[in-house]
Amino acid sequence: MSNEEVPERWLLISLGNRYRGDDGVGPYLLDRLRSRLAGLVDFLESGGDMARLVGEWKGRQVCLVDAFLSDEYVAGNLVRVNIIGDNDLADFIAPSLCSTSSHGFNLGEAIELGKILQSLPRRLDIFAICAEDLTRSDRLTPKVKTGAQRAEQAIIAFLHADNGGQPCTNSP
Amino acid sequence: MKEIPASGNSKTIKVDYLARVEGEGALFIRYDDDTVHDVQLKIFEPPRFFEAFLRGRDFSEAPDITARICGICPVAYQMSALHAMERALGLVPTETIRALRRLLYCGEWIESHMLHISMLHAPDFLGYPSAVAMAGDHPDIVRQALEIKKAGNALVRLIGGREVHPINVRVGGFYRLPSLASLHGLRPQLAEARKLAEQMARWAARLPFPHCEYAYEYVALSNPNEYPMNEGRIISNRGLNITAQDYEKHFREEQVPHSTALHSVLIERGAYLVGPMARYNLNFPQLSEPVRRIAGELGFKPPCNNPFKSIVLRCFEVLYAFEEALRLIDQYQAGGEPYLTAEPRASSGCAVTEAPRGLLYHRYSIDRDGKIAFAKIVAPTSQNQKTIENDLRLMLPKFMHLSEEHLQGLCERAIRNYDPCISCSTHFLQLHLQHEQRGSP
Repeated sequence: MSNEEVPERWLLISLGNRYRGDDGVGPYLLDRLRSRLAGLVDFLESGGDMARLVGEWKGRQVCLVDAFLSDEYVAGNLVRVNIIGDNDLADFIAPSLCSTSSHGFNLGEAIELGKILQSLPRRLDIFAICAEDLTRSDRLTPKVKTGAQRAEQAIIAFLHADNGGQPCTNSP
Repeated sequence: MKEIPASGNSKTIKVDYLARVEGEGALFIRYDDDTVHDVQLKIFEPPRFFEAFLRGRDFSEAPDITARICGICPVAYQMSALHAMERALGLVPTETIRALRRLLYCGEWIESHMLHISMLHAPDFLGYPSAVAMAGDHPDIVRQALEIKKAGNALVRLIGGREVHPINVRVGGFYRLPSLASLHGLRPQLAEARKLAEQMARWAARLPFPHCEYAYEYVALSNPNEYPMNEGRIISNRGLNITAQDYEKHFREEQVPHSTALHSVLIERGAYLVGPMARYNLNFPQLSEPVRRIAGELGFKPPCNNPFKSIVLRCFEVLYAFEEALRLIDQYQAGGEPYLTAEPRASSGCAVTEAPRGLLYHRYSIDRDGKIAFAKIVAPTSQNQKTIENDLRLMLPKFMHLSEEHLQGLCERAIRNYDPCISCSTHFLQLHLQHEQRGSP
């Protein structure tokens, strides 16, 4: 057995509702990445229970994919937020956002609770795609679908790089 | 809303957003030094028209459509819908299906109750504005709660396919039955969480409770063989004893000007209470022996008529749900068809099950092609609205010596005793307390 360090598996978490148009971009990416990153990454589709994340992401390297709404970005734009360790992600995310239910937590609160309970991810990289339409639909709008394809490539490159680079293949 | 006359002696306390309840509403209370004149739990969340959405849809879609009414108790909506449809179609589920449905309900009670106990209700008793603030001083309690909830999630995920809005439930049974090995694989996690649930119940029983006891009419399902979830007669402590088929002969929904949710009343006697307090007080003998023993040790033998103590009763129900889940897993017989089928026919059916917050009634009529012609859904929170208003009316005179800030906080707590799910009944609560001294116009 070699003494070479085996890279730790990443946990890829998707947030969003498959039936709310562009909000489904997280699950859409998760579905596509499952086959392309099988064996390298663990996958978790979150249906909105942020309390669950506090238990699941503790100490892990986490890549989180989600949709966001903004007046400053164009639909389909990819925004990456890189969080390492204990810093101010909770400040980055407005408490009023990401709230799935007043009965539950939003992402900012989950991170705040994670800090208090020492149950934060070791590293958290967020890939967020600017959404356009969140009304009832099981399809992404064309701009968001194109943005999702760019995000897919970015995530694959990012996770392969963390695992020592692209695997060798016989493909030219 | 009534116009309140301006008075130098009158006071108004206003809470724009009462946190830690599901939904949007407001509370208005007008009182003077002697009496409470008006209490209105004002629900202004727009009606969601689920009953209308269902018309014209296939009977098989009712469980999945109604599950979307609530992300906290979707299993309850699925259970009431599919039992009602099965009655309409003359389907009688097998013992295996029956056991798995009960197991799924155990998971939802654990998830829903634990969220309310630890994240929404406990901060009230310890003086914190939120669970996150409470976690700073009581991290172990919050960690335990998350572990307990995690076990509930695992149970719902295994039986239902995922922990929010399960997808494995269908009229007649399940799309796929879990393997014996997968159920047994969950056992260690459930057994460990059961220990934590007992610790949580013992902790909750020591919380400081305001002294408030009222004479309620409790209404719950009752079944001689088990603590009620999916089956039983609808009974009360004042003589009601009916089947689900007779529900609408005894319960009526009323419109009130200040709420987009209908108020449900007993035709004969008015307000009533559903939920953990009703279930516990009416069905204590059906709880498991360890839960009854622990309740006795902690001084919580029924009747428990203090709504603030409902947090402890929820803990007992969580403990029971773990014991029941372990029992069901140990007795599970794998095999058999995952579901029964029936040809659609013009028919009607209704059912009542016990959602975490209480009685949930569904009634459907379907046509000969199996399309839904009529749907009626009565959610627990709409059944408790009048009782919540009554609690506030009765509670306030005892606490008028408190500062307005404390009084306001107590009113919010009194509402949270019911874990109200306003979105189910039709999201934040605004509280307006108006104090008028005697002699004001």
